[in-house]
Amino acid sequence: MAVFMQSFLSGILIGGVYALIGIGLTLIFGVMRIINFGHGDILMVGMYLTYVLFTWLHIDPFVSVLITFPLMFLFGGFLQKVFINRVLHAVAQNQILLTIGLGLVMSNTAMLIFTSDYKILTTSYSSSTLQVGGGVTVSTPLLISFAITAAVTAALYWFLLKTDTGQAIRATAQDREAAQLMGINVKRMSILAFGLGSALAGTAGALISPTYYIFPQVGGGFTLKAFVITVLGGMGSVVGATLGGILIGITESLSAVYISSGWKDVVVFVLFLLVLLFRPSGLMGKSRT
Amino acid sequence: MRKHLLALGVAAVLSPSLLAQKIGVINTMSGAEAPIGENITNGIKLAEEDLKKKGFNLHLVWEDDTGKPQISMSAMEKLATRDNVTGVVGPYTSACSNAVAKLAEKYKVPLLIPAAAKEEITRLGLKHVFRMNAPADKYASSLIDAALSLGKPKSIAFVYENTDFGTSTSKTAKDYAARKGLQVLGDVAYPKGSADYRSSLAQIKSKNPDLVFMVSYVADAILLMRQSKEVGLQPQAFLGAGAGFTTTEFAREKAISEGVISCTQWTDDVNWPGAKDFGARYKAKFGKEPTYHAACAYASMVIMAETARNAGGDRAKTRDGLKSGKWNGIMGEVQFADYDGFNNQNNHTMLVQQIIAGNYETILPAPFATKKPVFPFPKWK
Amino acid sequence: MANPVLKPVAGILVLGALFALPRFVDSPYALHMMILLFMSISQGQSWNILGGYAGQHSVGHAAYFGVGAYTTMMLMHAQQVAPWLGAWAGVGMVAVVALAIGSICFRLRGPYFVLASIAVAEILRLSAINLTGLTNGAEGILATDLPPFKIGATVITDFSTKVPFYHAGLALALATITITYGVQHSKLGYFLQAIREDQDAAHSLGIPISRYKNIALVLSAALTSLAGSFYGVYVGFVDPPTVLGLDVSVQIMLICIIGGMGTLWGPVLGSLVLVPLSEALRSNLITEALVKAGVVNADSRTGLFLKENLSHAHVLLYGVLVVLVILFMPDGLMGFFRKLASRRQREAV
Repeated sequence: MAVFMQSFLSGILIGGVYALIGIGLTLIFGVMRIINFGHGDILMVGMYLTYVLFTWLHIDPFVSVLITFPLMFLFGGFLQKVFINRVLHAVAQNQILLTIGLGLVMSNTAMLIFTSDYKILTTSYSSSTLQVGGGVTVSTPLLISFAITAAVTAALYWFLLKTDTGQAIRATAQDREAAQLMGINVKRMSILAFGLGSALAGTAGALISPTYYIFPQVGGGFTLKAFVITVLGGMGSVVGATLGGILIGITESLSAVYISSGWKDVVVFVLFLLVLLFRPSGLMGKSRT
Repeated sequence: MRKHLLALGVAAVLSPSLLAQKIGVINTMSGAEAPIGENITNGIKLAEEDLKKKGFNLHLVWEDDTGKPQISMSAMEKLATRDNVTGVVGPYTSACSNAVAKLAEKYKVPLLIPAAAKEEITRLGLKHVFRMNAPADKYASSLIDAALSLGKPKSIAFVYENTDFGTSTSKTAKDYAARKGLQVLGDVAYPKGSADYRSSLAQIKSKNPDLVFMVSYVADAILLMRQSKEVGLQPQAFLGAGAGFTTTEFAREKAISEGVISCTQWTDDVNWPGAKDFGARYKAKFGKEPTYHAACAYASMVIMAETARNAGGDRAKTRDGLKSGKWNGIMGEVQFADYDGFNNQNNHTMLVQQIIAGNYETILPAPFATKKPVFPFPKWK
Repeated sequence: MANPVLKPVAGILVLGALFALPRFVDSPYALHMMILLFMSISQGQSWNILGGYAGQHSVGHAAYFGVGAYTTMMLMHAQQVAPWLGAWAGVGMVAVVALAIGSICFRLRGPYFVLASIAVAEILRLSAINLTGLTNGAEGILATDLPPFKIGATVITDFSTKVPFYHAGLALALATITITYGVQHSKLGYFLQAIREDQDAAHSLGIPISRYKNIALVLSAALTSLAGSFYGVYVGFVDPPTVLGLDVSVQIMLICIIGGMGTLWGPVLGSLVLVPLSEALRSNLITEALVKAGVVNADSRTGLFLKENLSHAHVLLYGVLVVLVILFMPDGLMGFFRKLASRRQREAV
């Protein structure tokens, strides 16, 4: 029972960070219908940013989110304005390759700057834990990052639901043409969406830095995970991505124990295919016909 | 005049010190394996510097194989037939070494592999392929023997990355454990780079093994130990195989690394000639501690360059020189011998070390020991 | 090429020259590069049938490449089956896998199809790692002893040089080009292009979409599998990341997109650019050439900088190249040349 509880709990906490990565991707996909293969690399940029702030300016990784978020927003907006906006109407595989190319440029630039060494960010609390009871413990930094994730997600909901800009982004995601007819500046919304998506990925990078490690190719695995989460939740659905992230966290954690840790990613991909086949609109998405 | 020049030319060819030693380097300098490859690059650069100081006219041809066997082959083809190198040091990964070894044999180019772990590479009976480091089986035997000499463990659990290195090391380790009468209580192969191992570790904890044997090549080692502490996994000893457990970053994480027993091919506090000096100069030049890869690569390059010079740049003579030679340097005594089905394999002594007071201290074999081992593993705070 | 006689004659001359090349070039390095080129052409051309003509942009072709490579290598290693027979077993395996994948992925469109194709390839890669009894897991399969190739009692070749690999590679590349040509000029090709342009319209015209998509998939997968078998045997070693990894899929797709999708010569052109370029970038031949041409002094600051960094930065340059091609030549080199040609024509008029 303790094993189950431990796995379940750490699955939820890890899932929170996954959710943040997934929300970023789903926003980008929702607004632009582009699958961003460079999403993990954007996360990597966020991680290095956190690393630099921590080692040079001694800013705590959790505090540095306040800096990482706006910087990554600008970075994402720049990527969108200079590169992605040019292929909005191009065929899908060109969009994919463009984001792959941008990802390669990002990861290899990081390699030139930081070398390909693994960077470890050691904070005073990196290895500290909280006793929950019943022999179950949680990692303190993981708990903090989960709390920040929840706060960021809540703020994002508020922004999307309550502000005019947020509503315009949602309208664009729902129907690009209609939004354009309604006088919404779709290109601007795309820049905003990519900026926000990148900021969220960067934030996720900052949040996992204290419990993970950093190297130039760290992004690849997260990109695939983000795809799965996004589809699971329904492409474009923020609520779906939140739930999807946590669901994937739990699935991974439990299947590592009850199936085998080597097969846990297979379980995730099979789940992904099943959802694609039987509920292509995702768990929370509205069906698009 | 013409005759004179010719004579001068002949003299230059005959005099070994004037003749350039053209040696190829195949290494992984980009892609997913690059972080470790970088240490090899640095080790070889330091060797190059030292050899040039000694008057060697060393000319290195660098090739990046990006960690892919077919590209490693391209590099070897180029070095062997276009650049006409005397010998090659590299490649880094086992997959690439496998692919390149048979080319070396075909072109009769002496190949000195510095740090690939796969046992088969020097078991194929290839005449031109030499290896500096101890292969995967040594990790298992030296760590388990160490644990058995320290206490009376009865059971063991394995946690290892499901990579070439991880699976082959743990495979021999499981066999070895069974032979020594240890009961295997857990067998977890994890995908390298996962963020969360807590559930697997909690599962192992529930079986309460006396020993936990972990294989991690990279920074996963830190995550594994952090999360072991989190879930309260408390064996008599943590045995760590692979480079992940032998980095300074790992030792610096005192809260989780203190008391972990690991084994390595090399450390800078061992009394092998020049080891300490190499460590200090490496640190001064590259701003970080050398890993064993760096030391293996350094020693490999020095041996290859010296042998190539003595052989006057002749491939066959260089091969013979490697086969018959004996060296004593930063890797201790090196000799490429045939034993236990291996050939041209340096029967290297693995060092077993433990992190005591935040430092790696060699605890076994006895002649190299710097501190008394701590056993059992201290209770988590 | 206005003269109708000139074209086939030129073709035969080029073919003859390619076939006879190993007689005149004895540098194994050059032959090795040619072999990689042939492999790249076969990979790109195979993808082209499904991606270029039928418009189904699979980012999971590593699945077929890897299954083909693994089947051949497993048979050779464990059962001593000669690879030129094992490769056909690979094709059979891949056909089954492809139909299974098709039954899942073809229900999906656009980005969903792309993601599903990645997921399936990843599942196969992870399975190859975990099914250690069958595939030897992450340790991979090493099989380098090729049996001599005999017809009757005569030994044709014992594979001691690169020449037989060169000819096998050439044959494979030519076969894929010929098959693509056949597809392009057949009913199948027209149907596939109709499906690519507008699936719903094609459906209403009475084209059995699902059947033709599956035909294209199996054909494309089978040819990719042959390329995979060829890779395995040539390199002598396969492991999950090198034949089933995501970057294998991307590389295959890249060949076509750089060259020009849905065109017969696109993958050839793409390979002609990508293979030498990535080799030149990787082994720093560019710096070497600059030094030799006297542009940069090898020991000057620039020379040292280039020597030091260009080999580290080659993937970066590769990425930059991809970005530039997508932005400025969205239809690949073929599209770019066509545009140039039509502009020139217009100017001439």
